[in-house]
Amino acid sequence: MFQYIVRRLLQGLVVIFLVTLATFGLMHLAPGSPVDIMIGEAEVSQEVIDAITKKWGLDRPWYEQYLVWLGNMLRGDFGQSMVRTGVPVSQMLLEAAPVTLKLNLYSFAIAVLIAIPAGVLAAVRRYSLFDYSSMVGATLGVALPNFWIGLMLIIIFAQKLRWLPSGGSGSWQHYILPVAVLATEQMAVLARLTRGATVEVLHQDFVTTARAKGLADVTVIFRHVVRNALLPVITIIGYRLAFILSGTIVVETVFAWPGLGRLFILSIDRLDYQVVQAIVFLLTILVVIGNLLTDLVYAYIDPRIRIQ
Amino acid sequence: MPRFDELLERTPAVGLTRRVLLKRATAGVAGLAAFGLLAACRGAQEQATPETPAAPAAAASPTPTRPPAIVTTPAVVTPTPAPEGKYGGEMIVTGHHEIASLHPDDAGPTVHWVIVTQIHNGMIELDENYQLELVLAESYDVAEDGLTYTFKLRDGVKFHDGEIFDSNDVKYTFEWYMNPDSAAVNAALFRNIDRVEAPDERTVTIHMKQPDAPFLVRAATTFILPEHHHGKVGKEGYASNPIGTGAFKLKEWRAAEFTTVEAFDEHFRGRPYLDLFTEKIVPEASVRAIMLETGEADSAVWPLVAEDNLRFAEDPNYTVFRTSSVAVNHFPLNNEHPILSDKAVRQAMMHAIDRQKVIDDIFRGTAVLATANLSPALEQWYEPNVKQYPYDPERAKQILEEAGWVDTDGDGIREKDGVKLSFTCTTITGDQARRPEAEVVQQYFKAVGIDMQLAEAPTATILEKMRSGEMDASLFNWTYGGGGGDPDASATLRSNAVNNFSHYKNPRMDELLDNGIKEVDPQKRKEIYSEIQKLVAEDVPFLYMMFWDWFNIFTKRIKGLPESALTGSQLYRKAYQWWIEE
Repeated sequence: MFQYIVRRLLQGLVVIFLVTLATFGLMHLAPGSPVDIMIGEAEVSQEVIDAITKKWGLDRPWYEQYLVWLGNMLRGDFGQSMVRTGVPVSQMLLEAAPVTLKLNLYSFAIAVLIAIPAGVLAAVRRYSLFDYSSMVGATLGVALPNFWIGLMLIIIFAQKLRWLPSGGSGSWQHYILPVAVLATEQMAVLARLTRGATVEVLHQDFVTTARAKGLADVTVIFRHVVRNALLPVITIIGYRLAFILSGTIVVETVFAWPGLGRLFILSIDRLDYQVVQAIVFLLTILVVIGNLLTDLVYAYIDPRIRIQ
Repeated sequence: MPRFDELLERTPAVGLTRRVLLKRATAGVAGLAAFGLLAACRGAQEQATPETPAAPAAAASPTPTRPPAIVTTPAVVTPTPAPEGKYGGEMIVTGHHEIASLHPDDAGPTVHWVIVTQIHNGMIELDENYQLELVLAESYDVAEDGLTYTFKLRDGVKFHDGEIFDSNDVKYTFEWYMNPDSAAVNAALFRNIDRVEAPDERTVTIHMKQPDAPFLVRAATTFILPEHHHGKVGKEGYASNPIGTGAFKLKEWRAAEFTTVEAFDEHFRGRPYLDLFTEKIVPEASVRAIMLETGEADSAVWPLVAEDNLRFAEDPNYTVFRTSSVAVNHFPLNNEHPILSDKAVRQAMMHAIDRQKVIDDIFRGTAVLATANLSPALEQWYEPNVKQYPYDPERAKQILEEAGWVDTDGDGIREKDGVKLSFTCTTITGDQARRPEAEVVQQYFKAVGIDMQLAEAPTATILEKMRSGEMDASLFNWTYGGGGGDPDASATLRSNAVNNFSHYKNPRMDELLDNGIKEVDPQKRKEIYSEIQKLVAEDVPFLYMMFWDWFNIFTKRIKGLPESALTGSQLYRKAYQWWIEE
């Protein structure tokens, strides 16, 4: 087991290295330079452009810049942002990451607490009113874009009813709308998945056996069905770790939350190499760890899976 | 320093309103003869109040008492003392993207400027009507030959940390910008300065290498940095910890979330009325509009979607300043491209587009037609008597035919010497406002036998490839003279300019631009810039479309606002005179 984890972690390191190299290369291959964005519409001469390019080391070949970045990163230094002049990238990440993390954590907790029981119930009471209504809700949750749901909630709860603030972070009231939007989508995905998996397991022979030997329905459902049905759900949960950012970009923009998703998009748009690099690095680590954890939890839940 | 940053964002508009139709009718009747007048009137800001709702642009007129906007020999005004206001409260404004830096050298983007201007002062500053105001300077004197400027500085001015402001701070600031090692973005504005002297604590003498007519507007308005602090922390350190002489000092800076400045009790003009001034970052335009409605914000420093702008302009509960931008919405065309180098093609394109219809349909009438590079808002520099290009597709076809562009193979696209009249226009990725504009223009071109393909690329790519001449054409807004109210366009029209996106080369233009900078007589200077506009209209180096209207919206509880404005972002410089009255 220990050997397995070490091996997976080492593989992860290689993945992280390759991903950062590819990101760096791609960012530098794209035409345009962050200097173009920095100078904006200022009246500039070529000398000024050259001076700024040199100051940020952008006149050196990209692989050299990558090696400098790698060296600094190994020493724990993510460098400085070119756009947010001189601010350490690590500080920017420390400000933005908790915001995104909290949004995700709360919405995910709510989604799991509601969606899994709802999915199981819908499967057990198949073709009931509850099944139909929850699945229609889930379909809508997946189909409606986050952006639209967010704006609608703002119009209803901030503009019309004036119950909640329309954007920004700070108080607990600020969390309600963005968490609701994020949770809606996650709930929809999880509920459908749980229902499907549960329905499938309900038809397995071991469930019929369990029932035949006279076990109570509740026991059958919780001890045998749910435990087996959760396997694909857990795969998805682990997999979704990778989408932590893409899920929140829209919500952060609509609700004016200064999170990692917005920072990521803004930095790509402005070619702020150091920041993009750091976020990709962080993201890759998350994916590697997420995948590893999924496999480990799998083995724990399903004794048939044994890690070699 | 000139600041314009509308290149990147503009929110789209759809549909038509009765008002737009009315306005279109007015414009149609006025016809071309009245166009100059119409456009000039458009430059005037309209302040919408319940008594005087924002009138259609054609009916607006400039405030008769406003002094002329010539800034070469600036009418230096003394700011009127603010009327008695109420102390206290927090004013909240919204911006659309993060405040990446608080250093005056990075204050180009409007959302940066709105905060940086609260913290800092220049010796002189431009006000919202393009007038110069004495701020840290008590008086100034220009030598006859335009080679020496002497500034007498105000006494008893303190920085936020209690240090006394003096001539060494001015000398330090100018020299910092002039020093190539500083890699200052705005270094070019100081290129004609030979040296700066500080003979005593209250006097600064600036010696020029050559006369520089825009000097006062562009360089002398630079925000002064404290030598004792900036000298230690440098640009990077200063960007997050600025110390100025402004009416407000930094309280909290959270770049992507909000920035708050608080009243500076020892400000030389007296403590401002507001306790706090906060700019919140709200990327989504519709949410910024909702915040104005719910009272969560008092003003939007960046325009909302056209529908919301127009709605607020007609709502008595808001004070709306409608000004005209000096950045021209245009299609830069690579003049070295085999097809686009043909002046006849460029002139025909101008005739082929119904630009007023584009303004009315796509921008809901919130723009004014361009007649050359300078905005009609720059009343004293604007030249209406230039070659005109009314919508006339038949004339466009005729010009093309005369130039030898004929559709011989019947595919609807003209050709000459085997070369098809076809090129690609690259718009900014995700540009929801200008992409429809490009699509409409594409149809206009198609009707006269010109094939314009459309592509998309990120801003940085477009800027770099237009600069290097690898791209045929693009569509964005840029200032071709008029920044800070000065008409100099050397940065964009001179043959060797970095931002000469069209690769336009005309020796006469270079000569005129050089003379325009050196000429200190305002009348002679006016003649030079008139000729420049005529030359632009004749040569059509780029397809000049329109100047967008700029809306700055305030809730009624904000009092002490100026009565009129010609430039929107400059309004916020006056926050030290505003107060809150519920």
